[in-house]
Parts: sequence; structure tokens; C-alpha cells
Amino acid sequence: MINGRRRVVITGMGAVTPVGHSVAALYDAQIHGRSGIDRIRNFDARKFPTTFAAEVKDFDLSRFLPDASRYRLSGVNTRFALAAAAQALADANGMSAIDRTRFGIYLGNGEGQSEFDQLIAIIGASAFPDRPAVEPSKFFELALERLNPEREYELEMHTTAGHVAEQFELLGPNFSCLTACAASSQAIGEATELIRHGDADLMLAGGAHSMIHPFGVTGFNRLTALSTRNEAPQKASRPFDLNRDGFVLGEGSGMVVLEELEHARRRGAAIYAEIGGYGSTADAYRTTDSPPDGHGAIAAIRWALQDSGLAISDIGYINAHGTSTEVNDRVETLAIKQVFGERARHVPVSSNKSMMGHLIAAAGAVELIISVMTIRRGVIPPTINYETPDPVCDLDYVPNTAREQRVDHVLSNSFGFGGQNVSLIVSRFKE
Amino acid sequence: MSHSRRAVITGCGALTPIGNDAAAIWASLSEGRGAVGPITAFDASKLPCRMAGEIKDFAARKHLDNKNEIEKAMGKSLKLMARTIQLGLIAAKYAMLDANLSRGQFDSTRFGVIFGTSLIAIEVDDIVSAAHAALDNPEKRVDLRGWGEKGLETVEPTWMLKYLPNMAACHVSVMFDLQGPSNSITQDDVASLNAMGEAVRHIGRGQADAFLVGGADSKISYLSQARHNLFLRLSRRNDDPGRACRPFDRDHDGMVFGEGATVLVVEELEHAKKRGAKIAAEIVGFASAFDARRDGSGLARAVTQALAEAGIRPDDLDHVNAHGSGVPEQDRIEARGLRLALGPAADRVPVFGAKGYVGNLGPAAGVTELGFSLHALAHGALPPTLNHDHRDTECPIVVHASGLRPIRKPFVMKLGFTDLGQCAAVVIKKWE
Repeated sequence: MINGRRRVVITGMGAVTPVGHSVAALYDAQIHGRSGIDRIRNFDARKFPTTFAAEVKDFDLSRFLPDASRYRLSGVNTRFALAAAAQALADANGMSAIDRTRFGIYLGNGEGQSEFDQLIAIIGASAFPDRPAVEPSKFFELALERLNPEREYELEMHTTAGHVAEQFELLGPNFSCLTACAASSQAIGEATELIRHGDADLMLAGGAHSMIHPFGVTGFNRLTALSTRNEAPQKASRPFDLNRDGFVLGEGSGMVVLEELEHARRRGAAIYAEIGGYGSTADAYRTTDSPPDGHGAIAAIRWALQDSGLAISDIGYINAHGTSTEVNDRVETLAIKQVFGERARHVPVSSNKSMMGHLIAAAGAVELIISVMTIRRGVIPPTINYETPDPVCDLDYVPNTAREQRVDHVLSNSFGFGGQNVSLIVSRFKE
Repeated sequence: MSHSRRAVITGCGALTPIGNDAAAIWASLSEGRGAVGPITAFDASKLPCRMAGEIKDFAARKHLDNKNEIEKAMGKSLKLMARTIQLGLIAAKYAMLDANLSRGQFDSTRFGVIFGTSLIAIEVDDIVSAAHAALDNPEKRVDLRGWGEKGLETVEPTWMLKYLPNMAACHVSVMFDLQGPSNSITQDDVASLNAMGEAVRHIGRGQADAFLVGGADSKISYLSQARHNLFLRLSRRNDDPGRACRPFDRDHDGMVFGEGATVLVVEELEHAKKRGAKIAAEIVGFASAFDARRDGSGLARAVTQALAEAGIRPDDLDHVNAHGSGVPEQDRIEARGLRLALGPAADRVPVFGAKGYVGNLGPAAGVTELGFSLHALAHGALPPTLNHDHRDTECPIVVHASGLRPIRKPFVMKLGFTDLGQCAAVVIKKWE
């Protein structure tokens, strides 16, 4: 224990991402700069302002679960979550004898997929002829007849943590949150706190999300948040580059097994890394914009540092939120400079989103896993598509090629729409 | 260390079907007057369940003061907020007023927000024009090319923000400049109890001094009504809505929805004392667990753990404020779990169920119903559980069902659980 506090380590990891369906494949793609971005196949997006995304390709849940057919009507977020959870739990190894009532779950999770075609047809058929409104009784009649009850149920956000907990018999604390793009980092941070406090000894923590559906792309396109570089999708996610024009949607899931250190030792678990620090703040500024002074992000990073007991000189790599939007990358750079001062220019900073897009609620968990692998392997993934420096983004973004470098402590940032800021610090495990 | 910082409740704001202020809510509770009725917001005649606990004539702008600059600005943003989010924002305003807290008079970085919310179904009228564009082809089929080319641009630019579940906490943080930890927990019927537990842990470890802990929900919209009628067990007692939600009663036949929001100010004890806050209760226990087999064993673990953290025995509870959804299977699971955890004390500890008054407020249910117990503690009397006329013999608990029962002990337990087995238990102690 440090200062009387229970220590929390990572003993298992799993991932389903646009660049691979395992942690090994994910990290390999990251350090080789391979993009997972392409034309959208989930639906016909040819006439949308944005026609591309980073989709999970050729996903087959039955490769991860024997009874995958139970979940055929679940949202893809739930199916990604089940696959990543199965990997993480298998990876954590030797879990058969543990007390399941001390094993909980905390997910940063989104919604399932609407029955878009059915819903649009129902709305069209129940609309008044002369005004943009539906006639309720007509709408109800059609909706009750045509929408699938089980599919509709599986849209609900608590179903993912419910199914995963049931499938893997996780009987302890059961939480999920949705703080937009910060959600799964927040889930990992709060799950860490539940273990520290003694509410659980183990937590499966992470995130799952897909917004690569017509409503998701419509919503983000209307907000003008997405890149529209349709002529060159793989060049579209270009964090910190002068010519960035928005983010690229990704989808997937990342899961880690968090475990109290003594518990992990007793069962002889292999330890990947330790969760060093966690900070969570709000901008209290606006719904979509970051404040120009970055105060919320700065406070979150400082909280995480203070929580970890580390000095800024200990941080060897910053795994940035780095969305490739004009505002995020500028404000995140500013926040890093504010906290790290002179040292900011000497810490490598990179964005995994340059290759796999933005996994929204699942982003932070997958990026934390990449951070852990960076500590393990000593290779920092690059920011690809970094071609033209932006005068206001003047840090070392590990441009375009990976870098071999020993790293002991990583800061991973996640900032959400609505002003939630989460910073996590993950550290090489030392006795 | 973790227990040295205590969390107390110093304010409450609530918008509920039985009233939007403490006096109105207590009047309804103490007179045993519920507000579940036929849905009036729209023609619900084609729905299998046509009842709800509605907040009639809710207009957020009427609750905002135009002379206050921030509130005026929030008023302009109301069009960005679904009804759920508006309810949460206004309840937060009343919680701050009740706690005698105003913007700028506390350390913003030490004050956070945690809300329980869930999927907010879109208002389908927002996308009728886009739907027409998608169907504007000779076959009248849904064609995404039409949607992308001509439909998408008819959707409001900020459309998506209206429905994001974290936006309640977001707007609340903007209105009161709350820069501390912010979370939005989406765990359906236990969301706001989990939110409360998380806030207590934050305060315990010193990461913040105060939180607005809230829950907000409205399912009174076309799509939400259609969806929930499809997949949930809702009551069919449309001929007698006031008697439709019947917690633990022999004739329970399903749940009824309600809408509303409750926000509590949860504050570190010394912080509250220093500013002379009026303290209603201390939060002394919290537990979350999963009932994998839906047999009550998970619920029992949550109850046992929360009692243990509070350091009390079952007989120390004045009452249990149950989930009591009125869905037969759920009532039986809950009663079995309670019996398992309380043992023989289950014959003595009275159980109160609030949903007969207001319906099920989903992610707002936990804090809203806990608010009713706070009123009971303040008035020294537990109101009756509505519509509990004959005990379901498969529910081995004692439900308090008639008249006002004097409050005898300082401890109350609030329970919640979801259809998938997520359980939460909170124990509070009246501040004396």
C-alpha cells in the first residue's frame, strides 16, 4: 500500500478495434502506422458529407464466445464488449477460484443501433401531410407493429454491463457511464477507486461504442465535427497537423482487468502495469467547445499527477486525446504546455486516433491499452498524417514513424463533448 | 482515512408528478394522493399502457429568472435540451436554492456533478423532413442517399446534443460553474443511486467537497412510449390509472412510468458545518452488486454490504424504501432478497414503495424516492405505500400501506435494481 491506499494493477487486456481484434494486432498496427479508415460499409453513406470511418472489419463474436447467438440482436457495442471482455479475462488467467462477488464491472458505454430503416419508414408513414410532425396514434400503431422489441431493448445503455456481467459472472459493483469521449477513461478511473476503497478486489473496466450509424454520422456532420476529406480517407485523421479538418469516427471496445495488487500477487497473476493516477474535472464552459484557456484539461492532468505522486519529469509519453479537430488539438497542446512548462517540448505526445479514428466512449480504454503496451515494449506509436506543422501545436508529436524509447509512466488524456476531462496515468509496475 | 470525511445531504430540488416543491410533495405523500393518470401530453389511445405520472404544464423557462444573466443565457439554450435535460437543470436550480448555495460563493474546482440518466429517445418530429427526403423515391423505400443529399441538412445543427445523456450534468455544471468531477451514470433504474454512491466515495477520499447528485428522466415522448411498451412489462389497468402501480400487491400487473428529476446537494460534513448549512441526513452506507440469477441473492448482498458500511443491524432501520416496481417478478425478487438479507427483522422493518404515487422515474427514481424518505424523516412520519391492498404471498416482507406511521429510528435504506440484475443500496441517517 502507498500512503495506506490499496494499489491497483492491470492483469488482463482485450480489444476489438478498427485496426485489429486483439491487443497484439492493435499495437502492431499502431507502431507500424497502419490506418483502419476506409469508406463506410455499415450503411450507404455515399451522399453524406462524410463518407468514411474507421470500422471494425470482419468481426465474428462466435470466435470469442461459444454461445454468441444469444447476442445476435444486441447492439454492436455489446458484442464488441463481450469479445473484448472474453479476451481480457482469458488474458488475466487463473480466475476460476476467485470470489466472483468481489469482481465488478465499470463500462463507459454507448447506445445500441436504432432500427433506422424501420423507424424512418414509420415516421414517413405517420406524418401529417401538411406539416413536419407525426400523428401519434398512427405512429404508435405502426411502431408497435414493426419495431422489434428485443432490438429496441438492446439499445438501452445498461444492457451492455448487464450482459457482460451475466456472461462472465461478475457479481460485484456494476456501473456504466456515458461522458461522451471521456467515458471509458472515466470508467477505468472510477473502477480503480472502487478497488482502492475496498468495494471490490477486481473490476473489468473499459468501454464499448459505435456511432457509425446514420444517426451518429448525421449528428456529428450537422455539428461539423467530422472530417470531410472524402477524397483521401486515410489522410483524414491528422491530429495536430495544420490542415486537420475534424475527427474520424471509429468503433470498438477495450477492456482491462483491474486488480488489487495483493490479490494479484496471491494468485500469481502476471502484472502488465499499475494505474498510477486519475483526475476528473468539468470545464463548466459550453456544450461543444473547450474553453480557450484549457482550464478543465489542465486541472484534470494536475489531478492525475497529484494522485500518482509523480513529478512532471517522470512522465515519458503523453497519449493524447488528439482528435484532429481544430479546437481540441490546440487546447490540448496548450494544456500540456501549461502543466509541463519547459519540459513540454521534450515529452513525446502522440494520437492513436490518427490511425483508428475516434472510438468515442471506447476511445480512452483502447488508448490506455496502447499506453500499457508502450511501457511493455518500449516503442511509442506515431501520429500519422503529420505533414504541416501548426504554429500553435508545437510539441513533439512523434510524427509518422514509431520511436523506440523506454517509457515508465504514461499520461493518457480523454476529453468529452460537454466538458468532462479525464486524465489517467499508467505506470510500469515496480514492487 | 476513507471514512474520515463524511458526506451529508444539505439540499434537495425536485420536480415530480406530485409536486415541484417540498410542501406540495409532502402534502401528496401525507394524504396518500398519487398522480398517476391517463397520459395527457398526446393521444395515447393506441398504446397498451396509456398511463403515466406526468408533470403537467412543465415549462422550464418559467422556472428561470430573466433578470439573472446566467439563467437568461440558460433560457436561450433550452432548445438544445430534451425534456429530460430541462427537468434536471431546473431541479438543480432548486437544490442549490434549498442548500443556500449560489454561483461564485464556493470553490468551483471542489464542486462536482454526478447524474443518473439513460438513453433519451429522439423526438421524432425533429426528423420528419429528413424522413420524407429519405422516402422521396419512386418505390417509397428508405434510401440513405436521399437522406444524405437532402434530408440531413433539414436536421437542426445541434440536434444530437439535445439527446446526449451527459448533457444534463453538462448544462448544470455550466449554470453553476461546477468544475469538479463530472459523471453521467447510465445504469437505468439504479443510475441515480450509483451516482450518489460515487459522489460519497469522491468526498470520502477528498477529491471534492460537494456534489450535485441528480437523476432526470422523461419517457413522455412518442418514440420512448412506443419502445418501452414493446419491451417492458407495463400495467394494463388503464381503466383505473391511480391504482395501476401496485408494489408487492397480490394484483400487481406491471409498471407505470413517471417523469421528473431530483437533485440533492451532497456535501462534506465540515464544509457544510462551516457555512452553516442545514443538514438533512448523512449518507452512511452504499453498495452495488449484480444479481446474476435474478433470485434476490445479489440484492441481498447489496443490502448486507450497505448495512455493514453503515455499521448497523437490520433492526436499526426505520424503514426500507424499496424499488417496488409493481412488476410481479421484480417485486418477488426484491422481497426475497430483502428477506434473505434482513432475516427475521424482515417481519418488523416496514417497507415503503413510492412508485404508486409517481410511477417509475427510471434513472431519476432512486434519488427522487430517497427524497420522499427525507421528507418522512423531517416530518417524523412515513407515508403509506399506495395500492398495496393485499400482500402478494410470494413477497415475504411487511409493507407499510395505510396511514402515517411515526418515524422511530434514524436510519433508512433505499434500494434499486434493474431488469438485468444491477442492484444498489444506500443507507442514510437522519441528522440530529
